Amino acid sequence: MASSPKNKMLFRGDLNRIYDEKVRQKKKPHREQDRERFFVRPVRRREKNAKWFDVGMGIDLPFCIIILILLIVGTIMMFSASYAFAFYTQEDSFYYLKRQILFIIVGIIGMAVLSFFNYNKLHKAAPIVMGAAYFFLLLVLVLPSGEGGVKRWIPLGIFNIQPSEIAKFAVILFFSHWCSKYYNKMQLPKYSILPGVIVFGSISVLLLLEPHYSGIVIIGVLTVIMLYVGGMKTKYLVVGGIALGVIILLLAVTGGLSYAMTRMDGWGQALSAERGTDLWDSTWQTRNSLYAIGSGGFWGLGLGQSRQKYLYLPEPQNDFIFAIVVEELGLIGAAIILLIFALLVWRGITLSLRAKDKFGKLLGIGLTSQIGIQVVLNILVITDWLPNTGISLPFFSYGGSSLIMLLAQMGIILSISRTANIERQ
Amino acid sequence: MQEKKSSPKDFFKRFSKNSTPKTAKHAAKGPNQRLRQRAAVLIIVILVIGFGATLLRLGLLTVVQGSDLQERAVDQQLADTTLTAKRGTIYDESGNVLAESASVWQVVMSPINFKNDEQRAAAAKGLSEILGVDYDNVYEKTQQKSYYSVVKRKVEAEQRDKVIELVNMLAKEYDCGGVISLLDDYKRYYPHSTLASSVIGFAGADEQGLEGVEFQYDKYLSGTPGRIVTAQNARGTNMPFAYEQNIDSQDGDNIYLTIDQNIQEICEKYMLEGIQTYNVLNKGVCIAMDVNTGAIKAMVTSPGYDLNSPYTLPEADQKVIDSLPERDRERAESEALSAMWRNKAVSDTYMPGSVFKMCTASMALEEGKINDDSTFICNGSIVIKDKEIHCHTLAGHGVENFTLAICNSCNPAFIQIGQLVGMQKFRDYYKGFGFADKTGIDLPGESDDTFWAEGAMDEVDFAVASFGQNFGITPIQMITACSAVANGGYVVQPYVVSKITDAKGNVVKSYEKKIKRQVISKNTSKAISEILGYNTQRSRATAGYVAGYRVGAKTGTSEKIGVIRKQSVFEEDYIASICGFAPIDDPQIVMLLFFDTPSADKYYGSVVASPVFINIMTEVLPYLEIKTDYSDIDVKYLDASAGDYTGLELKEAVKKVEADGFTCSIKGNGDTVVSQLPLVSSKVSHGGNIVLYTDDASRSETVTVPNFYGYTAEDANYVASQYGLNISFKGAVGSGGTCSAQDIAMGNIVQPGTVITLTFSAVASEGFND
Repeated sequence: MASSPKNKMLFRGDLNRIYDEKVRQKKKPHREQDRERFFVRPVRRREKNAKWFDVGMGIDLPFCIIILILLIVGTIMMFSASYAFAFYTQEDSFYYLKRQILFIIVGIIGMAVLSFFNYNKLHKAAPIVMGAAYFFLLLVLVLPSGEGGVKRWIPLGIFNIQPSEIAKFAVILFFSHWCSKYYNKMQLPKYSILPGVIVFGSISVLLLLEPHYSGIVIIGVLTVIMLYVGGMKTKYLVVGGIALGVIILLLAVTGGLSYAMTRMDGWGQALSAERGTDLWDSTWQTRNSLYAIGSGGFWGLGLGQSRQKYLYLPEPQNDFIFAIVVEELGLIGAAIILLIFALLVWRGITLSLRAKDKFGKLLGIGLTSQIGIQVVLNILVITDWLPNTGISLPFFSYGGSSLIMLLAQMGIILSISRTANIERQ
Repeated sequence: MQEKKSSPKDFFKRFSKNSTPKTAKHAAKGPNQRLRQRAAVLIIVILVIGFGATLLRLGLLTVVQGSDLQERAVDQQLADTTLTAKRGTIYDESGNVLAESASVWQVVMSPINFKNDEQRAAAAKGLSEILGVDYDNVYEKTQQKSYYSVVKRKVEAEQRDKVIELVNMLAKEYDCGGVISLLDDYKRYYPHSTLASSVIGFAGADEQGLEGVEFQYDKYLSGTPGRIVTAQNARGTNMPFAYEQNIDSQDGDNIYLTIDQNIQEICEKYMLEGIQTYNVLNKGVCIAMDVNTGAIKAMVTSPGYDLNSPYTLPEADQKVIDSLPERDRERAESEALSAMWRNKAVSDTYMPGSVFKMCTASMALEEGKINDDSTFICNGSIVIKDKEIHCHTLAGHGVENFTLAICNSCNPAFIQIGQLVGMQKFRDYYKGFGFADKTGIDLPGESDDTFWAEGAMDEVDFAVASFGQNFGITPIQMITACSAVANGGYVVQPYVVSKITDAKGNVVKSYEKKIKRQVISKNTSKAISEILGYNTQRSRATAGYVAGYRVGAKTGTSEKIGVIRKQSVFEEDYIASICGFAPIDDPQIVMLLFFDTPSADKYYGSVVASPVFINIMTEVLPYLEIKTDYSDIDVKYLDASAGDYTGLELKEAVKKVEADGFTCSIKGNGDTVVSQLPLVSSKVSHGGNIVLYTDDASRSETVTVPNFYGYTAEDANYVASQYGLNISFKGAVGSGGTCSAQDIAMGNIVQPGTVITLTFSAVASEGFND
């Protein structure tokens, strides 16, 4: 864009930003303009004398409240779901709760810090983050494999890092950077299809080797969303979709999906499996998830009253936590929680649209979409409409690295919201 | 960054362009607007399609499938804690146990709780050693990711104790004691193994009835499994919250059969003997039934099988199967098993042959087509529609009256009798006697008869049907018809279960006699019974004569027409049968027995089936305490009790001995009787020899026991008197039997006067009156 200003089309957000800068330049002619500060300090930027301690002053308060509500509800449900399992396996009912609270504290601090972070710095960081993601994806393959021969975690003592989590963020960041930089050229396949195929293809290969199929699915969906919002021609989207289908088909034929296929063996057959067969064993988790959801009915059994969490549903605090949520809170509780998630997605995307630049818009939309996608895929997995591939539920599932990562991403959205709010003043 | 480089000129240009209402339309196509539109599409896709799908799915599962899933979940949460109900006991009529369940255990484990291979190996090793199961098999089970895996069922107390030791050891040394646990289980025992096997049937591994009464009354026997409705977690320990409600298992109901163990034993003993003696190839059937009620007293398919191991074939069959090629083996084995389990008395049809003549005779008499004066001529054969039908004696029976026609079992006479009745009437009575319908006996697998359809019966068919050939009926139908002939014409419904009681002994259900209809009048019944009684008296051992009782019986030898492969040594395969009842004046018991395909030296019902019938009846009738009615010939073989003669003056003693109907011999030189042999109250045959000792010295005298085997009663008596021994007669003495056993073997040294019990068996070697 910078190279061809004549083609550039500016809109309100851009105009406002440029206008802002002009005002600033007028006000403070001696100020360094080319260098962006590492942290944004909204107090200084706002017209009014907002105070540092005033939480509402910059960040989008509704979005922040939604996050906190989800965190509180999620933690309560995580405790309810996990305490029986924790009691039997760790001999401490509070084992997972304690650790999760620790992660939340770390995560919230991280979120708060990042909300002051000038996300525009990430423009430059995008290639670095991408590189780091590749590094970790390669590193995990070199490290000795974990349980069942899969290589998904990098152990770091206190908690483990999941390279695919980093990769998801890296993909969003990279395409936000790319699409905002070449927004006008996104119509050309060279600028949209080519990077999409390269990035997604290379990460897919690395994830295939782990193997981590749900990661591939999410990264694939994120790539498509980013390119779509970033301005790619819709026609390519259709073509790309068909191509992806063909690739998956080819992999399936050549046996590259063997792990996922064995998991898919029981897909949709959880309720018809015969006791004592291999199928019975492989669909155990999904079947018990369905039992739990069915047991909940419309009103639920009541908080803490789940029976399926008593070792019937293995690891109820992880991917299948929502089954216990439905069992305890019923369809009505599940609907309310889904509504909160929907509000989060709505608010996240709309506030991102108010960001002053495309990078912010795209980054915010990407990070928010990721949550929405994970929620939808997670629930479709536990209800047996998708094969059991291991997608965690944001804010609910137990897990240190993913929770901290999630809250960090929320911090970035909050940071975007700060700049967005400034424009409205 | 890129925006930063845009010049103020551009800015103003675009600002004005964008802010001018006239160009708003154009602006909608701008890149920022496109981003907004696409973001809106994205929101719609995620929220409406994505979240909509999840909500739809959750709604389907919770509201539509909710109750079903909840039921399955509750089932699972309680399934592991099901309390097995104890299966009910099966008793005979007088309360002897025929089948019962005993407590055993099953060894289960929850392999998911193993933490490492060391634990798995230790547990698998211990279990395989104790339970005698394959190590690799158990080790494989320890690798499963399940909470419940059965290692072995029906483990007895001894092995259970060892498993408990193993669990303690594992807990101590490997810290995995909780993985293996013992659950209650039951095992079915049949104390008499083969007794009444085809009636009782057996229960499978899960205590489910598979054959016979076990199958038929499974609903009552199995009881209701209980539940501990303390919800349990997947490991089988209680959940911490209050959710308790205990439902005890309800033990199954007990069943009392109408079968009498003693009668059953007697029947089985002689049937087996008959099968061996006559080399019977296709088993034998014997049914004993209460004439008036239809209660089955004994039902034998001989040889039976061991109910405790119902899947073990007889060695000979197993050998044949083992010699087959691999692919045929499984099918052959299951065929052999089902043949072994088959209750021939209700599941197989046979041609009744001459036994059926009692029915033909009854209908002719009932219809008034004949009377005692009716005469028939038999020239050895009769021609029906160009087809010559032979009598069993080529010479023919000449002129004979109705009674003799029955006694001679004359086929031409019965063809004539049948013709007098008429085909339609014959068919009506066939139905009336209950041959056209199942009897409704409470046993599984009852067969239908095979008879000519309406209009499909031609004259030749009708002619042979009059003497019981060329149609198939079940043995239970035949005996039911015979009891109708005997009991005044009432067709009853046979049954094997008399009552069902619950675990506490309260009667849940009881079964009594059920009369379906009266097919012939009392008078006809009486008349035919008398003729059948005359038949046994006339032909004795070949017609089922039982000493001391008035028995009515009819023998039969039916050709097995339409058999695919002839098996016996004879020109054709035969079924030798007899059906009779006793006593004639007040019938109590009716019995049908037949041997399917005898293949030794004889095959006639009168020589194969009749002796077995006599032997069984000779034991069963006294057991039933039926009043005896001895004829003169029989009286002399009856036992009397020896009196007390010791301490008496010799003269007085001799007088008393003679008064009691014995002869006496005196040993010693004293004046008073010091001791006597046989002792007081011993059973001695009439006219036996009482040895009176007058001093102690003479008591050292001895005799050697001679052989009695094969002698007739007369000869045995003579031999005994020569040796100064006494005999007591048992079995078929009066019907011309020979001695088949003596209780003190030949060559033993005994004192004179000792009582030797001789058992006689009927031997019929002549007279084919069937």
